[in-house]
Amino acid sequence: MFSCFSEKRQTVVNYKGLQAYSHYFRIFKMTKGSEVMPNMAEVVKPVASLMNVTKTIGSKTLVSDLTLDIPPGQVFGFLGPNGAGKTTTIRMMVGLISISKGDILICGRSIKDHFEEAIANVGAIVENPEMYKFLTGYQNLRQYARMVPGVGKERIDEVIKLVGLEQRIHDKVKSYSLGMRQRLGVAQALLHRPKLLILDEPTNGLDPQGIRELRDYLRRLCTEEGTTVFVSSHLLSEMELMCDSVAIIQNGKLVDIKQLKTVGDAAAVSSVETLFEVDNPQAALELIGRGQLQQGGIVLEAGREEVAGLNARLVAAGIKVYGIRTLSRSLEDQFLEITGGEGIV
Amino acid sequence: MSEFTSLIHNENIKIYSRVRTWVMLFILAFISVLFPALFHFTSSGGSASLMGVWENFQITLTIAFFLNTIFTVVIASDSVAGEFSWGTIKLLLIRPWSRSKILLSKYISLVLFSLLSTAVMMLFAYGASLIFSSGNASATVGSFTAFEYAMLDVLCSYFEMFITAALAFMVSSVFRASGLAIGLSLFIMFTQNMFAMIFNPERYAWAKYLIFTHMDLGRYILSDTGPAGITLGFSIAVLAVYYALFLAVAWVVFGKRDVAA
Repeated sequence: MFSCFSEKRQTVVNYKGLQAYSHYFRIFKMTKGSEVMPNMAEVVKPVASLMNVTKTIGSKTLVSDLTLDIPPGQVFGFLGPNGAGKTTTIRMMVGLISISKGDILICGRSIKDHFEEAIANVGAIVENPEMYKFLTGYQNLRQYARMVPGVGKERIDEVIKLVGLEQRIHDKVKSYSLGMRQRLGVAQALLHRPKLLILDEPTNGLDPQGIRELRDYLRRLCTEEGTTVFVSSHLLSEMELMCDSVAIIQNGKLVDIKQLKTVGDAAAVSSVETLFEVDNPQAALELIGRGQLQQGGIVLEAGREEVAGLNARLVAAGIKVYGIRTLSRSLEDQFLEITGGEGIV
Repeated sequence: MSEFTSLIHNENIKIYSRVRTWVMLFILAFISVLFPALFHFTSSGGSASLMGVWENFQITLTIAFFLNTIFTVVIASDSVAGEFSWGTIKLLLIRPWSRSKILLSKYISLVLFSLLSTAVMMLFAYGASLIFSSGNASATVGSFTAFEYAMLDVLCSYFEMFITAALAFMVSSVFRASGLAIGLSLFIMFTQNMFAMIFNPERYAWAKYLIFTHMDLGRYILSDTGPAGITLGFSIAVLAVYYALFLAVAWVVFGKRDVAA
């Protein structure tokens, strides 16, 4: 989908992307260039806008001057080390804590001044999904269903099916595992078909299968129902798999906004650092005439078609090619670079 | 927007789906039956056996009201503080309802519980009194019949409990600690007479504005004036001010505070 890109108020991220070697890890190289891809520069009205949001408690500034637009129809990641202010920001977005300075608009409504209208567009889990343990999962959902208009029995059943809790929904929540509570938490957040789904560390306590499922249905929500998902995490690999874009926050400040996924066509035309693993690097370097030597191979910038051509030339010249890999930096490398390598736990 | 009554419904579910609540109501019913029976079986031909139905009823309720107050205070204290200690407050407050309405629904459900528990108590106490009272003609108390006196007494006790519960509700929403709320309100309930004695309005003029001096409205049933010439109207006015203050503090604090539990 193309419409996922919006011009950022602070940071315009320009990039040349290229599909990485792994079919699973879809990581794209990002460079701060000068040109914006023309078909990407579409301006979309954000689902949520954080405008110069600051939170101070006493003399401590937890979030400082954070400006961020969350474009619709994406899975938008919110990444930062522990204590960076992720949860504080989310709490402000859902009105649990006051905003010291600035404002947050959700679907154009201020969470400060029009709380009830703004929050009606939001479904959220803030930290752990705590439920009434003495009620069953179903009764818990009924509680929340009663508080919003137009959520009937069918919708409740639909959501239960979506999160895969049919078997245990009539058991008391105190008998649930953490993963099941997490699922119930997601169900509760989805009940009223919110435009914006805010999930704070949603994969905490989920098993690998659960994480995979969560990822899949967040993706489905995004593409099928057009829900915008705002998800915070400190787990980088997870964010890479889940998100279209990520905002990186550190010490309460927005550090960068990055696009993670782009379309394959765009990736195909741009060139990227590629490693050719060969038996005789020196000979290969002489043959091609550019690039640099590296352990067991040569590294050079090449486009998709170019790579194939180079490979043919190498093989024709009798040089054995053991492997061809793109050397894109992972999100983790970039994250560490941006945040100065300060601990992410 | 959905109906406000559904919020109250939600709060009621939270109260009545807990075993604890039913245990409390059962104990109240049991105590209400127990005392008339005790009076009956422990007195042989004494004055107690001659007590009329309403006298029996009134004494039983006076005793049972202590327990009723404790239970109501427990419910009041847990109503807000419980949400904080369970962590469910985070999910409750992100619905399209203002915090004041959520708090109001909690308060209403608390008042409904106090009415229910009082009704249960009265019903069982009356039934047991009918069975275990042998005295026939009820004496009059002052200018009231025994029935009128019993009803007025219940009303005064309920009023006292109502104020105590409001205090517990306030402490619960300000400090988010149900233990503190329960402890503090029960402390006031049991020590009010002592405080009223120490800070006697006859000795200190300002003491007539203390809440302790006015908690016991029952004294006005048989006499027009209380200590230092305070009247029923004055007592009710003072209590009303305290009540309004408790609720105002609860509402303001609950509405403004950051939820970072």
